[in-house]
Amino acid sequence: MELSGTFELENVTVEEVWLALSDPVLLAQAAPGCEFAEEVDDPDDVDFDALRAAAADREDPPTLPEADPEEVAERAIEEGDHYAAVLGVKIGSVNPTFEAVGTITKREFPEMHASGEGASSDSSFEVSSGMKLTETDNGVQVDWWAESDVFGRVAQMGQRVMNPVANRLVNRFFSQIADRLTDVGEDSPNVRDRIKDLI
Amino acid sequence: MSIETIESDEVERGKAVGSSMQRREDRPLITGEGQFTDDLKYPREVQLVILRSRFGHATITDIDTSEAEAMDGVLAVYTEEDILASGLDNTIPGDGGQDHTAPVDRHLLASQKVRYQGDPIAAVVAKDRYTGHDAVDAIDVSYERLDMVTDIQDALQKDAPVIHEEAPDNVAFEWSSGNADETLASFDDAEEVVEVDLSINKVVAVPMEPRAAVAQYRPAAEELIVDLGCQSVLGVQDHLSGVLGVPEQRITVRAPEVGGGFGVKAQPYTGHILAAWCAMQLERPVKWQATRSEAFVSTNHSRRHDLTARAAIEDGRIVGLHVDSTADVGGYLTSGGAGVPSGAFGTRLLGQYDIPNAFVEVTGVFTNTTTLSAYRGAGRPEAAYVIERLANACARELGEDPLEFRRRNFIEPDQFPYETPFGSGYDSGDYEKTLDKALEYVDYEAFRERQAEAREEGRYLGIGFSNYIEICGGGAGGLQGGQLRIHPSGKVVARSSLVENGQGHATGFSQIVADELGVDIDDVDIVAGDSDRVPEGGGTGGSKAITMGGNALKEGAKKLRERARAIAAHELEAATEDIVFDDGEFHVAGAPSRSMTIEDVASVAYSGNLPEDIRGLEETTFFSPEGSTAPFGTHVVIVEIDPESGELEIDRYVAIDDVGTQINPKLIEGQIVGGVVQSIGQAIYEDAIYDDNGNLLSGTLQDYAVPRAKHVPEIEWDSTVTPSPNNPLGAKGVGEAGTIATMPAIVNATIDALEPLGVDHIDMPLTQERIWRTVQEAQEE
Amino acid sequence: MADHDITLTVNGEEYDLAVESRTLLIHALREGLGYTGPNVGCESTLCGACTVHVDGEAIKACTTLAVQADGREITTVEGLGEDGELHPVQESFQEEHGLQCGYCTPGMIMTSVDFLEENPDPNRDEIREALEGNICRCTGYQNIVNAVESAAEKLEEAE
Repeated sequence: MELSGTFELENVTVEEVWLALSDPVLLAQAAPGCEFAEEVDDPDDVDFDALRAAAADREDPPTLPEADPEEVAERAIEEGDHYAAVLGVKIGSVNPTFEAVGTITKREFPEMHASGEGASSDSSFEVSSGMKLTETDNGVQVDWWAESDVFGRVAQMGQRVMNPVANRLVNRFFSQIADRLTDVGEDSPNVRDRIKDLI
Repeated sequence: MSIETIESDEVERGKAVGSSMQRREDRPLITGEGQFTDDLKYPREVQLVILRSRFGHATITDIDTSEAEAMDGVLAVYTEEDILASGLDNTIPGDGGQDHTAPVDRHLLASQKVRYQGDPIAAVVAKDRYTGHDAVDAIDVSYERLDMVTDIQDALQKDAPVIHEEAPDNVAFEWSSGNADETLASFDDAEEVVEVDLSINKVVAVPMEPRAAVAQYRPAAEELIVDLGCQSVLGVQDHLSGVLGVPEQRITVRAPEVGGGFGVKAQPYTGHILAAWCAMQLERPVKWQATRSEAFVSTNHSRRHDLTARAAIEDGRIVGLHVDSTADVGGYLTSGGAGVPSGAFGTRLLGQYDIPNAFVEVTGVFTNTTTLSAYRGAGRPEAAYVIERLANACARELGEDPLEFRRRNFIEPDQFPYETPFGSGYDSGDYEKTLDKALEYVDYEAFRERQAEAREEGRYLGIGFSNYIEICGGGAGGLQGGQLRIHPSGKVVARSSLVENGQGHATGFSQIVADELGVDIDDVDIVAGDSDRVPEGGGTGGSKAITMGGNALKEGAKKLRERARAIAAHELEAATEDIVFDDGEFHVAGAPSRSMTIEDVASVAYSGNLPEDIRGLEETTFFSPEGSTAPFGTHVVIVEIDPESGELEIDRYVAIDDVGTQINPKLIEGQIVGGVVQSIGQAIYEDAIYDDNGNLLSGTLQDYAVPRAKHVPEIEWDSTVTPSPNNPLGAKGVGEAGTIATMPAIVNATIDALEPLGVDHIDMPLTQERIWRTVQEAQEE
Repeated sequence: MADHDITLTVNGEEYDLAVESRTLLIHALREGLGYTGPNVGCESTLCGACTVHVDGEAIKACTTLAVQADGREITTVEGLGEDGELHPVQESFQEEHGLQCGYCTPGMIMTSVDFLEENPDPNRDEIREALEGNICRCTGYQNIVNAVESAAEKLEEAE
C-alpha cells in the first residue's frame, strides 16, 4: 500500500518543525495510539515487557513549547537510531496492539526517512516512510509518503478502510505537532532564533 | 411451478419411488433437536484452537509458547516438536491419485516454513474456547517473511519465489489426455479455428457449518472415537488410522448432522486430525470448531484456471478441441488437488458434442494461497464453462445462431454409449430433448424479437444457453456396500456408508427399500454416518448417493426378498420357484389364499427350526455399477443489463435436467435449484481475492459475497427422463448438476446482451464494476 | 474477567447464570444452557444462523452480549412449537422442502416468524428482502420463500 500527502503548518519555521519532529518524546506523545517509544540498541532483540515497565515508571520530560530547545536538540533522533514502540490502532472491526521497531534511515535537514515493522497477535506490518519540509509563505509544508505492507487479520479485515484510517492518523499526528508549535512562535521570538541556531 | 410434497403416510405401498415424499431428515432440524458437531458435549470436554500463519510465505525461526502455556485454563500448547515426539511423522496424506512432478507432503503443524495464510503452526487446548483464543494470541512466532506469489501466472515467471524446493518452477503437476497428434493435425487443416481465453475465478464453498470435530480416546481399550461433520466416515477412519497409527478397527468415526459439505468436507485437514491426536495425548474429549474466518483461509478453495480453448471447425462441425490450462493448486497438493483440475476437469471437456479429436493439457501450479480441491462439481463446472463458452464463440465466428450450431454438433441418441477421445464414456443421452423442452418454456423467436425491440429503446437483453453433461455417480470397478436387516417385528433397517450432508439420503434410500420389499415406508429406517454401523463403501461426493448407495440397497433388498421367499416357501410348504411376490405378499402360484406378508415371514425367520441356509433376514451386498452416469440438461438464462451502471438482472432462469430415473422429484428439484444458486454466486458475485502480500481479502462473509435471497431469481425447473443403462435403478447423479450447468448460461447471456456494444468476452464474476468496465473498454476500441 | 450474574428466561424457563462481560448470548444459550438449536455460522451478524427472539424480536445472538439480554425473554427454535405441535412456519419448511443441511434453518425460521408477525401478507420480493440477513448455502432460497409464503397463508387461516 502506498500513501502520501501534504500537511501545512502555519506560523512556524522549518527549523521548529524539524526540531519538533526530531524529538522522540514529542513524537511518541503525538503519535495516535502510541503507548510508549523508547530508543533501543538492537532492533532484533527488544524486550517489550521491560520497556513497557520502564516507560510506566518514568515521567516524560517537557516538550516544546515548554522544553528548552537545547535539551530537545540534545535528545533528538539521529540517523541510524533504533526505536521500539507499542502502538494501538483501530482499523475497521479490529483493534490490534502492535509491538514495533523502527530505524531512522536518513536524517538530512530538511528531509528524514524511517523504516520499521511491527507485529500484533495476529497481524504484522512493514513500512518505509519519509518526509520533507519546505518553507511556505506563511509556514511550513510537510510532504510525506509511506509504503507499507500489511499481513494477517488486519490486512484481511481492514484493507477496505486502511487508506482513510492511515490518512486520518497521519493528519492527527501532524495536527498535534502543529498545536504544540503554535505557542513556540507566538510568544517567544528568542526561542525561535535559538532553534534556528541549533539546526 | 413448484412440486407438491406428500407426507410419508400418504405414500402408497410399492409406489414410494417417484413420489415427492417429505423428508424424514427434517423434523429434528426444524425443531432444534438435530445435533451438529458443536452441539455435542462430552464430560471433561476441552477446546482445541489452532494458531495459523498470518503470512502467505515465511520461514519460522522461533515459536515461543511459554506465555500461552502459563495461562490459567490452558492444558497444553503443541507444536510440531510435540507431534514428532509422540512418534508421528507430522504429515497429512496429499493427493494420491495422480503422477506429480513434485510429490509434496503437507504437515499437520508447520515448524520450518508456511506457504499460505492460514497454514497451521501451533495448537492450544484450553478449558474453554475463549481462553483457547486468548492463548493462541499469546503464542509468539518469529517469522522471516519471504516474497510471495498468489497468482498462477506470476508463479510461473522465471524469477518467481519458490514455494517448494522440490518444485523449483512452482509446477505441481503436468497432465494431458486425448489424441494429441490427430487433434493438433485437425487444426492445420481446419476451415476455421475459434479460440477463447478464459480466466476462471477462485471460489470458496462456504458450507454454513464451518469444519469441526470432537474426539475421545479410551486409553484402556485403545479406542478412538471421532464425531465430525464430514462426507465419508470410512474415509476419515482410514486417514486417521494412517496418520495416527491407530488400527482402523479401533477408530469409530461418526457424522452427526452435517451443515453442508459440497466437497470440501471430504479431505483430511489438520483440525480434526489434531483434535484426535490431542484427545490421545490428554486422554479426554477434545473439540475443535473452526471460526468462519479460520474456515475461509483453511478450508479448500476451488476452480481457479487460466486457459486457452480452441476449436477446429469443418462444415460447421467441431472436428478438433484443444484446451491448454494452468490451474492453481494453492500452497500444497492436498487430497484431490491434482485430480480435480486435471482428470475431473479435462476428460469432461467435450460436453454434449460429438468431437472426434480432443486434447487437453493442464499444468498445476503452486501459489501462496489456500489449497484447492473439490467443490461441488469438482472440475466439471469448469469444463462445462469452457465448452459452452467456446460453443457460443464458434457460433458467433460462423455468424450463426448458437442453438443451430449446438444442434448440428450434438451427439445423437443412437451414438450412446459414447466414448470420448479422453476415454470417458457417456451412458445415455438425448440432448435435443432437454433443449426442446427448455424452448417450451422460453419462446426463443419471440425473445429475439423482444431483444431487438429493446435494443431500439436502448435496453440490453441477452439469452444464454448451457447444454451440459457431467460424468458422475461412481464408475465401473467402484464398490458400495448396502446392508439390510428385517427385524422379527417386520421393521427394516438399511445401512449405508454414504453420509448425509443435506441431500435427503435417508428419504431416498427408504423409498427404494420400501418398494423393493413391499413394506410401508415408515417401517424402513436408515442407518448411516457411523463407521461401526455401516458396510464398506464410499463417502458422499461425486453425486453417487443414489447411483451407488441407492442401487446397493436396491440389490440388497432384492436378495433379502429372495431369502424371504425361500422362508415363505418353507412355511407354505411349496417349492421356492412356485412362490410369487406381489403387493407386498408372498403367495403360492395359483393359490393366492396361501400367502404371507413380508412381516409374517420376518416373524418366523429367526428360528433354529428353519434350515440353516434360510435362517434370518439379513443381507449385505457389494454393488458395482456397469459404468458411470452422464446426466445432462439445458439451462437457459435471460438477463437484462444496464450498460450505464453495469447492473445485471436475471429475468428468467429455466433449468431442464435429465438425471435418469427419479426417486424423489422434490429432492431433485431442491438439489438442482440449490446448485444453480451456488453457481450464480460464482458467476456474478464470488471471488477469493488475494493481495500481493498473500492476504485473503475476501475472507469474511462481508467481503466474500455468497448470494442472499434477494440476489437470486426464481428458478423454473423441469426434467426429462433418460434412464441410465449402467445401474438397476436407471438413475444418474443429481447433486452437482445444477452447479455444473449454470455459469456458462449466465456469461453467454451477458455477452449476448452486450454484443451490440462490441463486447465478445468477459470473465467471472460478473460484478457490476466488471461489466461497466468491460462495456467502457469495448466502447473505447 | 469480571463475572456477572444474569437472569435469562429461555422458552419460558427462568435461568440464573454467571457470565463474563465478553460472553456472547449465543454461547450462554448453547454452552451455558444447552439450547443448541441456534447455530454459529459467522460470529459477525452476517449469516443469521444464530437468530433467536429477544422479547419477541429476532436478533443475532452471535453479536449480542449475554449481559445485554439480562432479564429478557428469549425464544429459541426449541421453544417455537406448542404442546408438541410444530409452529406453522416449521410445518411449512418441511412441506416445501425449505431446508437441506438444516444448519441455517433455526435462524431462517426465527427470522420468518418475526417477519410474518410484522407483515402477515407479504409478497415474494418482500420475503426475499426480509431474509437478507440469513444465508442459506443449500436450497437456493426458493423453497424457503415458498415455505414463508405458505406459512403466511396458514397463519391467516388460523386467525
